[in-house]
Amino acid sequence: MLKSQPQIDAPVSETLENLTKIEDGRFQEVEVFAKLGRARRVSRSGLNRTAVYSQEQGWAVRASDSRGSFFCAGTGQVSPQGSWPGTDGLPLKLPSPITSPAWQTPADFEAPLMGEREAQSLLEGIERALRNEIPGAQLLQGTLDDGTSETQIINSRGIRVRYRSRLAALHLESLGPGAESPRADMYIAEREARHFSPLALARRLADRLLVLTKGTPRQRDRGEFLLAPPVMARLLESLLPLWVGPGSLDLAQDHQDSRGRLGSEALTILDNGRLMGGALEAPADGEGVPTREMILVDRGSFRQPLLSWQQIPAGQKRYAGCSRRASWRDIPKAGPTHLYLKPSPAVAVTELLENLARGYYLLDTTGAAVFDWPGNRFYLPVCGFEVRQGRASAPVSGSHLCGAISALLQGIQAVGRDLSFLPFSGMIGSPSAVVSGLELRALS
Amino acid sequence: MTQSAAVPFETLDTPAIARALSQLAEKPGDWADLFLERTEEIRSPAEGKPPGVQTRREEGLAVRLVRAGESWLAARDAITPKLFSEALRQVARALPAAAYPEPRMALGPWPGSPDAPELAAFSPEVHRALREKHVAFPAKISVTRHSRWLQVIGTRWSSGTEYEHFYSCTVEMPWGRFGTLLPSLEEAEVETVASHLLDYFRARQALPPEPVTGLAVLGPAAAAVLLHEAVAHALEADTLALGGSPAAALGVRLGAPGLHVLDDPSSAPAGIKRVTDDEGLAVCRRWLLRDGIVEQPLADMVWSQSSPELLPGAARRSNRHWPPAPRSSHLEVLGGPLDQEQLLAGGDGLFLSQAERGRLDSLSGEFHLFFPFGRRIRSGELAETVGPCRLEGRVGNLLEMIRGIGQQPQVAGAGWCAKGGQKLPVWATTPSLRLEEARLLPC
Repeated sequence: MLKSQPQIDAPVSETLENLTKIEDGRFQEVEVFAKLGRARRVSRSGLNRTAVYSQEQGWAVRASDSRGSFFCAGTGQVSPQGSWPGTDGLPLKLPSPITSPAWQTPADFEAPLMGEREAQSLLEGIERALRNEIPGAQLLQGTLDDGTSETQIINSRGIRVRYRSRLAALHLESLGPGAESPRADMYIAEREARHFSPLALARRLADRLLVLTKGTPRQRDRGEFLLAPPVMARLLESLLPLWVGPGSLDLAQDHQDSRGRLGSEALTILDNGRLMGGALEAPADGEGVPTREMILVDRGSFRQPLLSWQQIPAGQKRYAGCSRRASWRDIPKAGPTHLYLKPSPAVAVTELLENLARGYYLLDTTGAAVFDWPGNRFYLPVCGFEVRQGRASAPVSGSHLCGAISALLQGIQAVGRDLSFLPFSGMIGSPSAVVSGLELRALS
Repeated sequence: MTQSAAVPFETLDTPAIARALSQLAEKPGDWADLFLERTEEIRSPAEGKPPGVQTRREEGLAVRLVRAGESWLAARDAITPKLFSEALRQVARALPAAAYPEPRMALGPWPGSPDAPELAAFSPEVHRALREKHVAFPAKISVTRHSRWLQVIGTRWSSGTEYEHFYSCTVEMPWGRFGTLLPSLEEAEVETVASHLLDYFRARQALPPEPVTGLAVLGPAAAAVLLHEAVAHALEADTLALGGSPAAALGVRLGAPGLHVLDDPSSAPAGIKRVTDDEGLAVCRRWLLRDGIVEQPLADMVWSQSSPELLPGAARRSNRHWPPAPRSSHLEVLGGPLDQEQLLAGGDGLFLSQAERGRLDSLSGEFHLFFPFGRRIRSGELAETVGPCRLEGRVGNLLEMIRGIGQQPQVAGAGWCAKGGQKLPVWATTPSLRLEEARLLPC
């Protein structure tokens, strides 16, 4: 359990107490979850501007007797005298407290939410910078969400946690100049909205628009590939079945080489729910289980899959909280929080690019990946540049990166230091990486 | 007006709320309203998974001010005079010198503990119906009852309380997942779900068809998804605005002659039909396409203010925390002259009864429709089953490929629409459609 017992609101603890007393302790397992949040959503689309101020308050109770269980949720403050549904389905088990290091609420959690004018200025700044990069380009839509919340979890086995969270998300849709111009979208998340840089975001959109406008497909080519963080993060997200859940052990065995290695020396995969500075940094997961760093793959060797406390094999004592709860409305579900490829702090991206004699620098994805696990193949639509002697020579689009899944894992030659995260199912992060053994083919 | 026996908002002091809202609308053309909602969801679990029954009850409010293309919305997760006043202050552009007193907003309590006994019987009934068809296979069936009460109060008017009540069903099978919305859980719905599951079962090992350009006949459920994506989404005012003025679409030929597509929330199945939209304005029988020509796009109040040619009444919001947006509720396609034999006549092709999902790129007009399975048409007769495939094309081209319309529209193709992050139930009543020169690719 966390070292100091947090203060839990009276209605939350009274609800737990009352439920455990019903019919002389009929409910053997009881959990009360409460969340209070404030959020702002500011958006612009053409001439329309919208500002939404939301205050959310909700709770959820899970309880189980010997025959079945229920999940009951509602808005407002939980009522200790609430009326509860009958149990059904299967009984439920809840986690017990475990020791964990203390956690300090990060100082930037205290920063005020972005104001309406500040948020509109950010969106206008992105549009202005985009037009400076590509005259005639438009920001079709921009939406900024900035929110803060406080979570309390208490259960009949002794878990008592209370923690705050902070998250901002930005969704942008841009259009290049001209009648048949392409569109570039972006969805990113940070802990605080003030970390979004209008100039950097506009440049990223502009790069993507230029590549999509001027790029041509490659019928079929091989070489070395420098994959930027958005491409690598998308690949890691598609590889989640390999890192998360009980089925990943078998999948990892299927993709190991003859020496029993899953990947190259440069492949180290971690998940860390309390990653310092992470957008989802928290001391505990959605069931109150303490979070910590888990090494899933260590320099190419598969160590362990990411499993929740319920999924770990009997006898295994150490586990990390990884049950995520999108809101009070949702049932906790095991998944990554900050899953990432470990960066090399000494390696700059320019260094990786300069060492690329012949290959491609792939900047972004243009669609969803297809992973054929039984066939050991993957396809990912991408765009970027052809590279000759460390210099970008021609834009490339309308192509997909493809190859064997095992070749992707074994082919990671080097990684940079530019670790960045994208919001998928949890935050998935990667630095730029040089990968060999893959192919670029024209989209059919 | 669609009302339930227990109307939760009937005790509200509507005139006092309207007076309080009038403080916001300080400039000519300003629009201020209060959106109130209560929702209840009860979900019966699929066998073998904890927790058991899942219930959720929500209530809340949202105050909105619209002024010259700008909107401000403040939402809260309870309905109390204090929270209403707080939200009012948050959206006010200028605070009044003297505020009106807080209105009375005491709501009736929720009736008892959440309970939906009809859910428990549905799964065994579907399995029984499957056994009667001489098949049995693992199928984890989960059913949810969705209930929603809502009311909108403006400065000079108030809608009645609208009540929506329907069910959703998801089934997990070893060879795929099936989901649908159902207006009720009667015997007809049991039979419908069982028939769909049987189709999935029969197609479980079928190979995808080879790439082909030719005849494709879409059953009512697949036609509904096609028209939702290719007509309804394409004619939403906010989608049209991405390419210029939404009103410029009026009079444009989008589909083949004889194709009449409407959006009419008032003719939706019982339990879903609406008198007013989510802005409290009257819904109408809206001709999206008349004889293939765009007549009236989907618009809400904000878009109708910007283009006088656009009619409001199609505003929808998934909950109080979202501003309304123009969306389809119940799509209706008028029946045509072709019977089943005529639909399939004249050569080989594919019959596609179900569509899994559709995707429209709002700017390029590129469209993809995915089918979990289909059946070959050989010499006008239905033949063997084929596996998953997809239909590709541009919206205009696809709609012009519609060369025949079936005689009997059916309630079909209901599902969840998730455009822009808002999850909304959508319904349709359509006949089968005959497409010629359709490009179908294996998945």
